[in-house]
Amino acid sequence: MRIHLGGHLGWYDGEKRDWLTIEQSDPISLPALAARLGVPPEEVAIIAVNRRLAHWDDPPVRDGDVVEFFPPMGGGAVGGG
Amino acid sequence: MRYGHTGKVLRVDLTRGTIATQVLDEELYRMYPGGKALAAYLLLSELPKGVDPLGPENMLVLSNGLLTGAPFSTATRFTAAAKSPLTGGYGESEAGGFWGPELKMAGYEAIVITGRAASPVYLWIKDDHAEIRPADHLWGREPEEAQATIRAELGDKLIRVLQIGLGGMGAVMGSKNLKGIAVRGSTKYLENAAEPSVIADLGKTLAKRVKENPLSWDLQVKGTPGLTAGLNASGILPTRNFRAGAFEGVDNIRWEQYESQLLSARRSCYACAVRCKREVKVDDRYQVSDNYGGPEYEAVSGFGSNCGIDDLQAIAKANELCGRYTMDAISCASVVSFAMECYEHELIGPEQTGGLELRFGNAEAMVRCVEMIARREGIGDLLAEGAKRAAAAIGGDAHFFAMQVKGQELPMHDPRGKVGVGLSYATSETGAEHLTAFHDAVLANPDSLQFKGVVPLGISEPLPPRDFSRRKVEYYTVMEHWNNFGKTNGLCYFGPAPRSFIAIEEVVDAVNAAAGWDLSLEEMLRIGERANNLTRVFNAREGFTRKDDTLPERLFTPLEAGALQGVSYPRDEFERALSDLYEIKGWDVESGVPTREKLRELGIEWAADLI
Ligand code: SF4
Repeated sequence: MRIHLGGHLGWYDGEKRDWLTIEQSDPISLPALAARLGVPPEEVAIIAVNRRLAHWDDPPVRDGDVVEFFPPMGGGAVGGG
Repeated sequence: MRYGHTGKVLRVDLTRGTIATQVLDEELYRMYPGGKALAAYLLLSELPKGVDPLGPENMLVLSNGLLTGAPFSTATRFTAAAKSPLTGGYGESEAGGFWGPELKMAGYEAIVITGRAASPVYLWIKDDHAEIRPADHLWGREPEEAQATIRAELGDKLIRVLQIGLGGMGAVMGSKNLKGIAVRGSTKYLENAAEPSVIADLGKTLAKRVKENPLSWDLQVKGTPGLTAGLNASGILPTRNFRAGAFEGVDNIRWEQYESQLLSARRSCYACAVRCKREVKVDDRYQVSDNYGGPEYEAVSGFGSNCGIDDLQAIAKANELCGRYTMDAISCASVVSFAMECYEHELIGPEQTGGLELRFGNAEAMVRCVEMIARREGIGDLLAEGAKRAAAAIGGDAHFFAMQVKGQELPMHDPRGKVGVGLSYATSETGAEHLTAFHDAVLANPDSLQFKGVVPLGISEPLPPRDFSRRKVEYYTVMEHWNNFGKTNGLCYFGPAPRSFIAIEEVVDAVNAAAGWDLSLEEMLRIGERANNLTRVFNAREGFTRKDDTLPERLFTPLEAGALQGVSYPRDEFERALSDLYEIKGWDVESGVPTREKLRELGIEWAADLI
């Protein structure tokens, strides 16, 4: 399964990756997946499964799915520098 | 004895060619401790109503915050403020880098520039020495070249040169025939601080924290271009001039592509360990020099999704042109997407664009259009005036495509998914601006890092991004005062709450350690509130009222695609929230103007007599 940890969520991965592949032949719920990855659910604001917006209680995911977790997205650029 | 600041303001009259130094007394400085607060005070108390923003009588104020140049991360910013040629009201922008800290080391809190030089000049400041020097030989030169020339003729490679060009504050500087301000200073920040060890310790703590804090780690590794994919998934990535909130080409412009295709280095502002600035270099279909900062998120979205373009090289080129010609990337990108939509609706055609097929998705035309704006060629001459004026000249439905408030183009954040940002856009005294208060997602989860960071401000109840309750407006108000205090003390938006890389208590301690004061958080919030009220009065004096606190009509229509497809900005709730906001701020609900009681409470009743 391909997983994306957007924004600061990549920090929680041991190797600080923003994309990783894991073996997950059995279906796994999204909260269980986040727990397996060590990503605190309170830092997750948006989840997309196969590009579609998903929710914590959506059906489980498995190998072949692309799951993207994003934190709350705040303000962008500041000028200067 | 004064600490953390000298109170010195350099007064430059370019018409007379005179320079003088004024020293503000400590009591006055405490009311307006630099940055936005000081600039707003000087502009409101010294400028008469109705001056021509591009005339010699306009004043350009460049002001440091109390903490600007302090040796800890994010203490880098200064304010540039004047009556704005874009909005006709109070105009301001903040910038980081190295210039503000250098000015602080030269011993000045602010520079006030009035008049107009008869021929191009630049200003040279070295500690107590200041002089006006001829700059005819710099005219038409690109910033890098002009700066190199200045450094060479002054014989010091470490000189920092400020140059701002087209649009907003840059236009005011240009109208004064002022080509740049070169500064070199030699007094270290800590030499003037009341408790230097507190500041130095904070510097060490923060340098260590950068990699341990997920939020600053994110800024360091990805920087703001890390936002693109998440905003797309959230359905609020501005796409094709804010028609949609998701872009089919997002995979070609998201951070991973940026990193592999463009990134050449990570850069920093003065003494900042966050190092969130990107440097990019391209030597391929486009040549992009690494002399100018790489595109921030705003430029990626502005020249990318919002123009329907998924070509990162073209985006980087457009952004580089903005740096080269000292144009604001947000305004420039927004005016290009505006022109593209006018072209698609045949409000302008090849006759106006010089044959350019200015359609969404045409990357080459986008880059060419940016060049035309920079050189004021063909339709670029009109577009350089900003979307509002261009729309008025084009006529028909063009005004509907001009995504601007008070003449200032919208940053790349769609308020249909975060309603508080809409309140910022509508009510900010400088026109559409997104760093006024917060982005609503901060309040969504009480256990999140960002939420915990704002708790000391009295924020306790989690609220969803599209909640528009009075409670949301209350939180908005306290955050706006906090941010205004940030724009006053010189800390970058990416330091304190809501980024919360620096805790609120740490900011309070740093301010007091710098100045030897004993201010509480409440008093600091009042400084922010006072600055906000001064700018509000400035605009009221120029005739701005509630009717100017509005949003582009398109935002009240549904998003065409993405996770929030079909969602509009709530018009009725917006009007109610606006009334709530005025009430909470102590402003007249009908007019949106501060009441005399409020101004008295803030110790600035004199301002009530100016309206
Ligand atoms: S966080 Fe980024 S923009 Fe802010 S001062 Fe540091 S390097 Fe500059």
